[in-house]
Parts: sequence; structure tokens; C-alpha cells
Amino acid sequence: MIEAPASCLSLPFTMSLTETPFTIAIPDSELQFLKQSLELTRFPDELEDARREYGAPLADIQRLTKHWKEEYLPKWREHEAKLNEDLPQFTRDIEIEGHGVLNIHYVHKKSTVVDAIPLLFVHGWPGSFLEVRKLLPLLVAASPDHPSFHVVAVGLPGYGFSDAPKKKGFATAQYAELGNKLMISLGYHRIVTQGGDWGYLITRTIAQNYGPKHSKAWHTNMPLCEPPHPIRRPLILLSYLIFGLSAKEKEGLARAANFQEKGDGYFKEQSTQPQTLGYSLADSPVGLLAWIYEKLVNWTDEYPWTEDEVLTWISIYWFSKAGPAASVRIYYEITQSQPNALITNCATPIPVGHSHFPREIASFPRGWLKSSNLVFSGEHEKGGHFAAYEQPEALANDVRKMFSKGSPAFGVVPGKTGY
Amino acid sequence: MSTDSEASFTINIAQGEIEFLRKKLELTRLPDEITDAGRDYGVPLTDIRRLLARWKDGYDWKKHEAILNAELPQFTRKVAVDGFDELDIHYVHKKSKIKDALPLLFVHGWPGSFIEVRKILPLLTAPSDEYPSFHVVTFSLPGYGFSSNPTKRGFGMDQYAEVGHKLMLALGYHEYVTQGGDWGFYILRRQASLYGGTHNKAWHTNFPRALPDVEPPSSLPNPYDGLTEVERNGLGRTKWFRSEGRGYAIEQGTQPQTLGYSLADSPVGLLGWIYEKLVNWSDEYPWEEDEGLFLSVFTSRYMANFSVPTVLTWVSIYWFSRAGPTASLRIYYERMHEGSSPEETHIPMGYSYFPKELWRVPSRWLQAPNLVFESEHTEGGHFAAHEKPELLVGDLRTMFGKGGPAFGVVPGKTGYNAEVRHPPS
Repeated sequence: MIEAPASCLSLPFTMSLTETPFTIAIPDSELQFLKQSLELTRFPDELEDARREYGAPLADIQRLTKHWKEEYLPKWREHEAKLNEDLPQFTRDIEIEGHGVLNIHYVHKKSTVVDAIPLLFVHGWPGSFLEVRKLLPLLVAASPDHPSFHVVAVGLPGYGFSDAPKKKGFATAQYAELGNKLMISLGYHRIVTQGGDWGYLITRTIAQNYGPKHSKAWHTNMPLCEPPHPIRRPLILLSYLIFGLSAKEKEGLARAANFQEKGDGYFKEQSTQPQTLGYSLADSPVGLLAWIYEKLVNWTDEYPWTEDEVLTWISIYWFSKAGPAASVRIYYEITQSQPNALITNCATPIPVGHSHFPREIASFPRGWLKSSNLVFSGEHEKGGHFAAYEQPEALANDVRKMFSKGSPAFGVVPGKTGY
Repeated sequence: MSTDSEASFTINIAQGEIEFLRKKLELTRLPDEITDAGRDYGVPLTDIRRLLARWKDGYDWKKHEAILNAELPQFTRKVAVDGFDELDIHYVHKKSKIKDALPLLFVHGWPGSFIEVRKILPLLTAPSDEYPSFHVVTFSLPGYGFSSNPTKRGFGMDQYAEVGHKLMLALGYHEYVTQGGDWGFYILRRQASLYGGTHNKAWHTNFPRALPDVEPPSSLPNPYDGLTEVERNGLGRTKWFRSEGRGYAIEQGTQPQTLGYSLADSPVGLLGWIYEKLVNWSDEYPWEEDEGLFLSVFTSRYMANFSVPTVLTWVSIYWFSRAGPTASLRIYYERMHEGSSPEETHIPMGYSYFPKELWRVPSRWLQAPNLVFESEHTEGGHFAAHEKPELLVGDLRTMFGKGGPAFGVVPGKTGYNAEVRHPPS
């Protein structure tokens, strides 16, 4: 439901609160083209005893492809309508220094609580604005028992229905600039943020570059800063002895080591040859499906994906404004300009909150993540990398707790306590 | 052991397959590109557009198939491999006119194929009094070209070596020498340790990937002293490759099936994936003008202006391969899960160094008691047999020729006519 904008009396008169609504409306020609591509799919074979160990299983991919062709795509307009109903969307031109103007797609929903806390939600890869779908109603919900939020979920450049950068060098600082400028353009001069995956790095950078003036506090479900430098296997083993780790912490480190050994091929390719990979992802719907689906399974906590959920997720990539190849360039830009960006340069000048989900790709001993501005840390028994999608209530509860009455971060945005 | 079940083979891709490829090419959806990307982000879009346009319209597979069939005498044969189902192995076999020519097995890698033998074949088999001649065998690795592929996991270096070895025995070559690069290096190194001495008499590689890391052997004093410029450049390139150039290998070694859906389904995706390596790994080889650079079997001269768009033929072999392109990736997974450890061989060994190879460390780091031949070149890259056939064959002729360090290594098969005296044994 689209809410009317709040009173603009408190805003600088130069800001425009006029929003340009957006509805997803994929042209028939695109649907027809996808149908033809799917019909021409050529599948590989598979080793007899491959299981999940060589990559996404053939039976899964064939089943999903069949469903896509025969059920999902013919009913695309229903799925599209539901997306538009669940997610109030807009577009806006944002100028980024050195990169010109990009047209940015975003979700924006205000709470009925006038003084709700403005919150920017930032996704990663292979996510999108879609990841806010279940979290959105929870965060905007009004209650005397917990704070509420006005939520903006930005579609990162190169994802969903946002423009992609055209020039080289659109990296962490630029994504942060974008998020901050988007919020300011909506009249949200003081904000809090929530993010995971690249969203973690981007919101951390917003905190560093625009906090405490604009960003007042940040929350992440993928806290990675900062491991003893540099993180290597012998160090991991040593840390088992020195730090007296809990079972959960050991498991988190084991997952991190496993990721480095078996799970980061996509990262290495995307950060060195994104265009080469991009030819495949742009041209083959099944190739794109498998590339992303493997992560949807490997990175979640046995989330019971329905075929429709998977295909909606993939369709946003397939139908994206810039095409799927654009989405992987972020790996190149960030890794080439800032090696080890995720685990270095950790300090932020504002309060931070962490949520730990057991099947996150990597999680580190809590002792490594402590800082004087860590005001909240939540532990969970269930959930993985896509926390907002897998465990929306748990994540929403954590964010509410972080900002609730009596918490260190309560009232961090002056006049917007959430109540 | 295989039965005497050799069948003559000609490549004959069905019209339906060719039509299907054409339909897919027509439906290609290309990505955009960052402005001024150059080669930094991967294969440039202009290159792909150009190759795609040619592939769709102007490239006649049947013509190139006929050329391959005319140049390369091909066969198939059943080969049993311990612990796996019998494989149907596609191979090229050409004998020299010289009866006592030296039997040589050539082994390709990825993204190569049996096609990599096409320029060296006429050179190796050419009869002469000046240099030794070879009977040449090369096969499509299981999962490549027109060989079948294993259906179970665990088909690793031992198994690839077993196939090559058994093929040579089946052809009557109980004693033989080998040459290879890329996977050919790993496979032939294993083959030398499994069958060396009794059967495999010597081996040569243009990819001496003999150290586990870019680190000198710990026993070597002052390993960085007195490096030549070529060695310094080589080390730099090797370090670049290790840190920036291995994304494909890590994906192929961990999630080959995931990647494989793309490569099986998208001809332009497959083209980009392979072409990037053809360019990045070679020494500025003019792939798209790869015209006039193959030796006519009839005239023994390189034919000029003979339009052979090698890139498209190279990639089409993957597209039309018997097992499909995905099967070719699994060797990376199996090797990664085999675990690597230093492997020594004890038969005479030769190394050829080409400056744009992906692995080049100072020669002193590679010394081994059985390293009897080394040769340094000033041009050429990873695909030595294709880029610099005369240089590679020249090295083999020197290594195995009269006066060379491995002359007469196969008794009775010196590579020369019978009048040549055998060296004192």
C-alpha cells in the first residue's frame, strides 16, 4: 500500500518529495523471448553419484526449468502483480560524483507511526530489493511494544530495475554515496541502516563516510570485522586453542574455512573476469538459474524454497534493466580497488548491532567482533545468509530490540524514536 | 586391456545438431559493457559480436569438419579402465613412413582438444635423414572431443594416464615417449611414474608445472640470484596468473556442474569462456586471422590465405563434443579432490620454456636428475603446439635426435632409417 508522504514542513525547501511511482511491467516481447530461450534449453549430463558436491543437481535444475516454462512463466502477470502489491516501488535520478546520473529503483514504505525511524535496507548478491518483501510489513508495523520504521530498500545500480554504472570504478564509496543521497532526497537526513552481503560493506561505509551526521546507527546480519590478520587455516586451528571457542563459534569458523576451500569460485571469477562470465548469464536462463540457485541452497539454513520463490528471485535478474552481467561487476570494482574490503577497515563512529545466524557463509568468534560501539548482538538457532528472507521475524525482532526504549541506540535519530 | 577393436572414425555432426546451434545463435542475448573496459573485465564485447556474427553467418562447420577429417586420420577404440565402465576413446593415429620411427603420445589439456596436434602432426611424421621421425598418437581425453566420458566420480590422473598407456599398448607401441602441456603435463607426469622405465621411456612438456607453489625448493641456496630477465618476467606472469587468472579453475574445481549448465546451454557463453583463454594465454597469437598457418598434408608447406577460423572450430568441438562441454570441466574437480603432492619421475625428461606460458619459474628451481633437455624460446605461449609448431617440434627433434640426450631411448626405434647406427648402449 502506498502511503501519502508525511508533512514536508520540517524539510529544506529545496528537497522534492515528489516520488515517481514504479510498477514492474515486463513487456510481452520479453516474456515471449524467455519462453523461446527456455524451449531451446540444452542440459548437461551429470555424474551418477554427484549429489550436491559438483554443483547444483541436475534433477533440481530440470525440475525448476520445467516449472518455469510450463507454470511460472505463463502466470508471470500474477507474480508480477503480487510483487507490485507487496512492494511499493519508485524510481529517482541520483547523481554520483564522477559517474553522472543514475536512475535508481527502490521500495519505500512509511509506517503509520509519524516518528518512525527512517531505515535504509541494502541488499547484496545474488539478492535484490526482493529481499525486503517479508521484512517490510514487520518493520513498518505500529506497536506500543517496539519501535517502527519508515523503510527504504534501494535497488543497487546494476540490479533489479535500477540503471547500471557505465564507467569503471563504481565501488564502495559510490554505493555508499548513492544510499545516502537517496535517503536525503526522500527527506531522511538522519537514518539508520540494515544490510548483509555487499549491503554489510555498503552500510558500514555509509556509517564511516556519512556518520554520525547522517547515518546514526547501523545493523548487519553478516558482521565480518575484524579477524586477526590475515585469516588462514593454521590461525583458525590455533584460535580454537587460544580463544576457547563455543561450539557455535567453531562451527562458524569451519563454515568460513569451507567457503574458502569450496565455495568461492564464483567470487574469484566475478572479481577478475565478470564480463566473460556475463556472456553466459545474459544468454542462458538455465545457466543464470543454476548460478544463483546453488547459492540459494548452499547459503541458507535448509530454507524450503518453493519453485515459485526461486523463479521470482531469478526472474528479477533475468528481466533486470541492466541485465544479469551488470550485477557481478561489483565484485570486480570492489576487489580490485580494495582487496580484503570485507574484513579490514572496520571502525565506525556510530553504534552498531550484529545478528548472528548459524548458517551464514562465514562467522567469526564474537571476541573478534567486539568494539566499543557494539550496542547489540543477537544470536539465533536457525537461519543463514539471506536472513531477511529466511528469518524475517527474528531479524525484525533484533532490529526492534536494538532501537527499543531503554536500549543504548534508542532515540539515536533525534525526534524519530519509532514510537 | 582393450580388444583389437579399432574403428575408423570421421567426424560427422548431424544436420539437426548444426541447425539447433544456429537457432540458439539466432536467439543470443548479449550483455552490455562498461565504457572503455578494454580487456580488463573479460572478453571485450566487440570481439564477441564479431565472432558471433561470423559463427551465425559465414562459418560452415561442414567445411571445417571435412578439413579436419582430411588432415587427421581418426579412430575409436574401446579402452577398459580399472574401476570404471569401458570408455570409447577417439584418437588420431598417424605413422611415419620411416619404419623405426619413435612412437609418441601427445596429450592435450583444457580448453584444448585433439585439434592441437594438427600442425605438429605433419612435422613430427615427416621423414628425414636430418632429424628423427615419429609415429604420432593423440586422443581426446575422456569428456572431450569425441571420446565418451566417465559416469562416476573419481576419474583422476591415474585414470587418464591409464587410458593413454593402454591405447599405446593396443596400437602395438609397447615402448613410447610422450609430450604434453596443461592437463597433458599432469597426466604424463603420472604416466611416467606409473609406467616409466618399462613402457614410457621418456617424456617432454612445454608446461613444467613441477613445483607446488611459486616458491623455490627449500634446499636451493640463493634461489633469486642471477635471474635472467626472461626468468624475472616469467615469475611475474606466474604470480599474476596465480592471483588474478585462476577464477575459472577455482569454479571448475569446486562447482563444475553449476558452471556447466551455462556452458552446455549457451554457445556464446561457451565461446566467451574459451576465447578469453585463447587470447590471455597465448603470445599475441592472431587467432582470428588463423589463416594460412597450417601445413598442407599434400605440399608440406603452410598454406597462405586459407580461411580457417580456428576459434570457431576450436569452440565448436566443445559445443558438438560427444559428452557435452560440462564433462570437460570435471577433471579440475577430480584433481582438486585428489590433493596434490610433489611427484618425481625417473625417466629422461625435457622441458621447453615459452615466454607467455602461465607457469615459468627460474630454471634452477626445476632441476632434477632426470631433466636431460631444456630449451628456452623468445616467443610463444601456453598453446605451444598450435602457436609455435616448428619450435616445439624442433625441440623434440633435438631431444630425441642423433647426438641428443634421449636418442635411442626406445630400442630399435631411433626415428631414422635403419642405416643410422645405434648409440653404444
